[in-house]
Amino acid sequence: MSQPTPRPSLLTPDRILAILTKAAASTILLMLAALLIILTLAALPSIQTFGRNFLIGHDWRPNEIQQSLHAQSGQTEIKILPPSFGALPVIWGTAVSSFLAILFAVPLSFGAALFLVRATTRWLAEPISFLIEFLAAIPGIAFGLWGLFILCPFLQQHIEPPLNAAFRAIPGLTWLSTTNALSGHDMLAAGLILAIMIVPIITAISRDVLAAVPPAQVQAAVALGATWWQTCQEMLRHARSGLFGAVILGLARAAGETMAVAMVIGNSNRINLSPLAPAQTMSSLLVNEFPTAGDLHRSALMEIALILLVMSLLFNITARYLVVGKPPQVQTP
Amino acid sequence: MTPSTHNSLAAAKSRLMFALCALSTTAILALLILAIATTISTGAHSLNRDFFRLNPIPPGMDHSPGGMRSALLGTAILVTLASLLAIPIGLLTGIYLAEYDTTSHLATPVRFVCDVLAGVPSIVVGILGYELLVRPLGSFNAWAGAAALAFLMIPIIARTTEEMLRLVPASYREASMALGAGKAKTIFQIVIPAAAGTVTTGIMLAIARAAGETAPLLFTTLLSQSLNPNQPFPSLTVQIFDYATGASRPQQSLAWAGILVLVSLIFVMNLGVRLATRARR
Amino acid sequence: MLPLKWISIAAALFGASVASAQTRLTGAGATFPEPLYKRWVAEYQKTQPQITIDYQGIGSGGGIKGIIDRTIDFAASDAPMSAAQIQLVGGEQNLLEIPTCSGAIVPACNLPMAGDLKFTADLLAKIYLGKITNWNDPAIKKLNSSLSLPNLPITPIYRADGSGTNFVFTSYLAAQSEEFRESIGIGDQVQWPLGQGGKGNPGVAAAIQQIPGSIGFIEQNFADQNNLAYGSVQNRAGNFIKATPATVSAASAAAQFQGPLLAANIWNHNADNAYPISTFTYLIVYRNLNNMRSPQQAQALAGFLWWATHDGQKIAADLDYTPLNPAAVQRVSEALAGLSYRTNALQRPQ
Repeated sequence: MSQPTPRPSLLTPDRILAILTKAAASTILLMLAALLIILTLAALPSIQTFGRNFLIGHDWRPNEIQQSLHAQSGQTEIKILPPSFGALPVIWGTAVSSFLAILFAVPLSFGAALFLVRATTRWLAEPISFLIEFLAAIPGIAFGLWGLFILCPFLQQHIEPPLNAAFRAIPGLTWLSTTNALSGHDMLAAGLILAIMIVPIITAISRDVLAAVPPAQVQAAVALGATWWQTCQEMLRHARSGLFGAVILGLARAAGETMAVAMVIGNSNRINLSPLAPAQTMSSLLVNEFPTAGDLHRSALMEIALILLVMSLLFNITARYLVVGKPPQVQTP
Repeated sequence: MTPSTHNSLAAAKSRLMFALCALSTTAILALLILAIATTISTGAHSLNRDFFRLNPIPPGMDHSPGGMRSALLGTAILVTLASLLAIPIGLLTGIYLAEYDTTSHLATPVRFVCDVLAGVPSIVVGILGYELLVRPLGSFNAWAGAAALAFLMIPIIARTTEEMLRLVPASYREASMALGAGKAKTIFQIVIPAAAGTVTTGIMLAIARAAGETAPLLFTTLLSQSLNPNQPFPSLTVQIFDYATGASRPQQSLAWAGILVLVSLIFVMNLGVRLATRARR
Repeated sequence: MLPLKWISIAAALFGASVASAQTRLTGAGATFPEPLYKRWVAEYQKTQPQITIDYQGIGSGGGIKGIIDRTIDFAASDAPMSAAQIQLVGGEQNLLEIPTCSGAIVPACNLPMAGDLKFTADLLAKIYLGKITNWNDPAIKKLNSSLSLPNLPITPIYRADGSGTNFVFTSYLAAQSEEFRESIGIGDQVQWPLGQGGKGNPGVAAAIQQIPGSIGFIEQNFADQNNLAYGSVQNRAGNFIKATPATVSAASAAAQFQGPLLAANIWNHNADNAYPISTFTYLIVYRNLNNMRSPQQAQALAGFLWWATHDGQKIAADLDYTPLNPAAVQRVSEALAGLSYRTNALQRPQ
């Protein structure tokens, strides 16, 4: 007896799974959209009030000031300065602390990556790689604690006094010195602790990128009589876009880090050229000031969060393109 | 310059650079060892039974600052709630990206956005959580905190799941299909079990990340000592931050003990992941 | 399997939280009275075990924001709410600001002779304006001629977060220094020309501990608890007064509570013995408690407020805060009698 072919039901397991997985995947897009939309809406009052001045203004003043102007006629006018928010000091803070972090981290990371790829055997590289990945997984609050209780006192007592004296003594570098008391809570501390935080990421990605250099390239260089370092230079040159991507990812992590920086940077909303002076980054400002009242103030903080978000998106997109997106180079003989 | 001078110069430079590279590696490891050693020596001091048994005690009431029991429980609950949300969504997204990639236009943008989201500063996610789940609900609460943590976990789980599923050979799927199994059955009974070990490692990495986050919780759960999910909620990281940035030495010691616990947890999870991955090879 | 066990734990906790007979209250705000409030909460919970109260010190600004946004049940602030903030909740008649005690803000310094230093408002203003940058400045020497002041740069420490302590300190300096008033001004949060910021009273205390030659304004209790020495400040009558419960009392004794909100500014008082940087600290609630979720919760909050301003005053004295004097307690009791839950009256405590 032949049964009629059953009509396909709409709710087979396959169909359900297809719908569920598609919904889950769409959630990812929704998450990004939510971030951008909600933050922009919340930042709108501040954007509309301050416009471009927000990005180039020096003053971050949440309170209003009443000034009495003594006019020539002898009368006293009260001029009220409303709260004014200029984000330049914190943009500067994030930029300089991240730059310092990269400055300290990149030589260490590239050196370690080269060592791991070209100078160690398997049994040595494995545990070292594990330790470096473990370092990458340690959360920012741990680095904050280490910075606060180990690095800052060490800087304050042993490093900064001679450093400050040296800056003052060397002509051309005096602008790097400071007349403030040295507390160890400054841009230098932030740069150093961020550097330690991003070294593992840059090392891990660089190691992978360098390991992906075709062996033929390496062997060719060795065959031509290159020294160890000259071969390394060849590899670095070959992998430069991936390495640049690694640096950008490190930069993104440094710029977005909150806790480690908030605990060591000194919380001073001022631009100071000396790395030995306290400073403030966008993320540490948010941690300090977000719980406060004041609608315009909160909107200004939302605008800062938006800037932070857009900046990190740009970094990540660039890095992704550099590390992953480029088509493989084909070497013609 | 004669070839021999040039060569010996280059050789000397090569030796120097080799030494510097070795030094870099040693320096990184030395810093790590210094940090861990200090954590253990300072934290172990306060890591007694009271740490796990007692809640934080306000200063002036007792000589000891108490323990971090509420904070430890808080983090455990928050991470559990976050996982309940993140693991299904992350797994399903990973399955979508691995198994439905060729038949969809959604996969490429989703993969891209996944990677980009993984790099978003966690403080921004916390602020989003505040706007969406704290203000409308009328109070800081654990749900907002769990949602913020889930937001951070989902991209990690999705991408690692996708990569691990891709490693399963196509022949497995083809054989299953040839035997008449539908796509859903193939995925859940063949492909996922084949990749189960490594998919779990992705989940463990995401959990380790969530357990260590502070900034998103500052804006969603704030801090408290009582475990009511509809009110400010305790967590290990925020409690550590609170104690570390104060001036009380006993509280600072507790903060060190907390960091020791946190870092040990992450070490164990990372070790587990490493061993599991090596066993798979 | 692992997830199932965790699911059931979570469900049990959720169920417990919903079904339990525990009444919960959340408060947040000033770090100035935080040690006292945390102690009050702990003691009160002993007498009323079915009530759980949580207080977190996030700064006066955070507390006021929380009560405006209704994310907390009661707020704590050293600064009375501003007119603009009161507008956001629909006017004075919707709120109650209850003084719970008064306290002193002291200039703690990291110097060996910190306890003997004498300050004037003008001196403090100049230090925070960056006009006086070293401890051996002639202006400081003139006032403290018996001390041998070191050649050490001064690091002013201020509050990095929104703070009622900040409001009181800037109000005090602005009242006496025109330059301060016109360049920095008064506020929960202001822009400081130099120095370093700390988060909360504890953060400022920590910063003072770390930096030799630093000066910071913190609540007296924090200074005492952390062994930070502080000097005396000249008051309006011209005397150099050190913060003690007696001198703060002298400032709060004749407090004139204005309006329905029971706010009174007691800094810069003109009594002979008054400590010039004194302040009340307030608990802020909605008069009709309409941000409460149940009558039990409203009753619990009213009960706690009553207990704190009556029985709790002894504990305040133990922790070096200045209790309310009888006249203030009388005014507070009258105000608390005006609390209601939505439109229903609340039980009057014994």
